[in-house]
Amino acid sequence: MTTNADNSLEQELLFAIIKERYGYLLTDEQLDSVRTAIVGQREVFRPIREYKLTNDVEPFSNFRPFRGD
Amino acid sequence: MANSFAFKPIRELAGLIASREISAVGLTQEFLDRLEQHGPHYNALVTLTPERALATARQAETDIAAGRNRGLLHGIPWGAKDLLATSGGIPTTWGAAPFKDQQFTHDATVVTRLEAAGAPLAGKLAMIELAGGMGYIHPDASLAGPPKNPWDTGRWTGGSSSGSGAAVAAGLVPFAIGSETWGSILIPANNCGLAGLRPTYGRVSRHGAMALCWTLDKLGPLCLTADDCGIVLEAIAGPDPQDGSTHPEPFIYRPDFNPGRRYRIGVPRGALDEAADAVKENFEAAIEALRDMVDVEEMEFPEFPYVEVTSVILMVESASAFEDFLAEGGPRELSAPGWHGRSPYARPAVLATDYIKAQRLRGVMARQVDETMAGYDAIAAPTAMNTATPIDQEFRSRSMTSAGAGDLMGSIGNGCGLPSISVPSGFDGDGLPTGIQFMARAYDENVCLAIAREYQARTEWHRRHPGEPGD
Repeated sequence: MTTNADNSLEQELLFAIIKERYGYLLTDEQLDSVRTAIVGQREVFRPIREYKLTNDVEPFSNFRPFRGD
Repeated sequence: MANSFAFKPIRELAGLIASREISAVGLTQEFLDRLEQHGPHYNALVTLTPERALATARQAETDIAAGRNRGLLHGIPWGAKDLLATSGGIPTTWGAAPFKDQQFTHDATVVTRLEAAGAPLAGKLAMIELAGGMGYIHPDASLAGPPKNPWDTGRWTGGSSSGSGAAVAAGLVPFAIGSETWGSILIPANNCGLAGLRPTYGRVSRHGAMALCWTLDKLGPLCLTADDCGIVLEAIAGPDPQDGSTHPEPFIYRPDFNPGRRYRIGVPRGALDEAADAVKENFEAAIEALRDMVDVEEMEFPEFPYVEVTSVILMVESASAFEDFLAEGGPRELSAPGWHGRSPYARPAVLATDYIKAQRLRGVMARQVDETMAGYDAIAAPTAMNTATPIDQEFRSRSMTSAGAGDLMGSIGNGCGLPSISVPSGFDGDGLPTGIQFMARAYDENVCLAIAREYQARTEWHRRHPGEPGD
């Protein structure tokens, strides 16, 4: 079971990854904007993570093996 | 002579060409003139393509004179959202300053198919930069400037197919092609008082179109009428070996489609809860106008986190599609970088398991939504909750990557890849159009087109057009 505190830690860790990867491109104000967006994204993930799927439910993708002529 | 053929639907223009009342070259030249003269007024035009258009028109004239008529689009000029690749030195800007000089050596499949049908490409039309893929909240997010609505230039057209909406609404081209990842055809149709068709995902090849989200992007027409949308869809749809997602069957437009019974239309519970008064009143009047041929009942979609699932897919795929652009600091060069809590740099911050889970949920969603929709020919709802918003204001308080953005029809329709058509349902007190959408099951474009056509046969909203600049 994750808690709100865990979620906050997760968002901080995700922010740290983004800062490490793109921080050199961004101003402090823009980094604040990234942090705000990442915190907002938590609410997007929550209902997806809470939705229970059985093991056999596959991703809805369209991959087909390719064979050229 | 000026303006004599503007605002005529495709079938009527085709009749005029067939009867030699206008030539393909004459018609194309008139629309080139209108697009050149008025396109910049609405910030709708990126590149006029007169040489290419007239070459196609001259060939059309020769073919028609020789009895080789290729169909209703033969000699009918059109405009392309500027995310469709065009060869021959014509730029394809994706609506964004960093790509303003971008050129391709190939044509998008949609361009190839329309030209094969004899339709001259009159110009490349403005769009929200990168189709809104970096997140945007303000209409000025476009290389061409904020897209102005022909009904009121103090309002915006909607996005991201903004130039396509403005150009058709102002009578600068008979029809245009737009694209929709989430709302980008239906919202301009709503705001500009047009018929806009979002086809089933995979119905139209995406080859040569800017990729924003591979599993969400659709190309479709913006036209004056639902009938026009059917005509254009038939020309652009069908399998394409260059796009593995395309449906293997061609689309045959059936303008005489009739189920042989009353249509069954569902209206989602709460669909009008957030609608502005005029939107609500016009929607209810639209349903009344259809009462002689439809049975309407309130319905509910199965419970799923539709907005969240579609949002995660959008975030991750757009972050991947523009990974290099982000790494190079490209967003800094955009007209309206997506800051203010909507940074595109937040999008890579999604765990792979969350994206895969969203794709797994998507399959369950798609099946259960289809089961629910099997009880109806179409689901009807207002296309948007409001008319066009002021051009100098944020158009929504939250981005689509925020939970609770509230766009149930958009998140279901795009998340599940379903076709939907928006047609005008009336006007508000400020003279701005409202829209009604009819969303059908996958591959049932003929059904939603037929209902929209029947609605337009009973109403006159689509016959109203904005005045010319300076009127």
